[in-house]
Amino acid sequence: MGKPGREGKDASGREGTASSSGEPIDRIFHALGDPTRRAILDMLAERPRSVSHLAEPLGITLTAVAQHLLLLEESGLARTEKVGRVRTCRIEPAGFAALETWIRNHRTSWERKLDRLGLILTEDDAGPTVD
Amino acid sequence: MSDLTVVHNTFVLERSFPKPPDQVFFAFSDPATKRAWFAQSENHKVEKFELDFRVGGFELTQYRFGENSPFPGVALVNEERFQDIVPNRRIVTASKMMLGERRISASLVTVELLPTEAGTDLILTHQAAFFEGSGGPEMREAGWKKLLGQLEKELL
Repeated sequence: MGKPGREGKDASGREGTASSSGEPIDRIFHALGDPTRRAILDMLAERPRSVSHLAEPLGITLTAVAQHLLLLEESGLARTEKVGRVRTCRIEPAGFAALETWIRNHRTSWERKLDRLGLILTEDDAGPTVD
Repeated sequence: MSDLTVVHNTFVLERSFPKPPDQVFFAFSDPATKRAWFAQSENHKVEKFELDFRVGGFELTQYRFGENSPFPGVALVNEERFQDIVPNRRIVTASKMMLGERRISASLVTVELLPTEAGTDLILTHQAAFFEGSGGPEMREAGWKKLLGQLEKELL
């Protein structure tokens, strides 16, 4: 099995080519491995934005933003939608939920047990029942 | 593949809780409270939980992993025996874990409770021998493939 290398870089609109290689979690980590894409996600976490409103503050071209957005969309971290003549972008929770699951499943069972113990010990204040 | 191999491992976890040691100790000694944090989780169904909290006493936990876990439908049984109990200070257990029909590990878990101004510092030292075919890497990988496959369907 080969490593997914530069997937998506030259996918010019064809669906399937980039997304057929690698597991979803591979695409998520690949997408997050780039500082510009993380900056895009930082901006989208505040509010949805248009493509040009992403390009300006980042100082990159619309084409570059579009390529980054393609990868973010394929990994389920962002969504874009054309409303009228403007393409708007927003955070997509599905990818983040997948990432959270991945992280949660890589905590050892004892760490998870102690997380729950901590919750129970703090919940105690609220009421006597623990279930 | 069927080589006999044992992997030994020790890890230490430390947590601070905003409650005095007697309350933390209670969470270990009271069956209903311990069941809530020790046995229950979103990944599996608890089929059995028995706790006889005294030196020489047994604790039995039997789970069945749910669909959203790496090992759907598989039973996990953990048997512990309390080796040492110092009220509000220390609990030591020796345990054996079985996944399906296989014994997968034997471990010694030492829990120390240290009083602090803010509450309690808990130090958990886990020393274990993991046996071959423990369903570690290969089952985990298979389970993950399945989970990620389901995820992919949701994403597309």
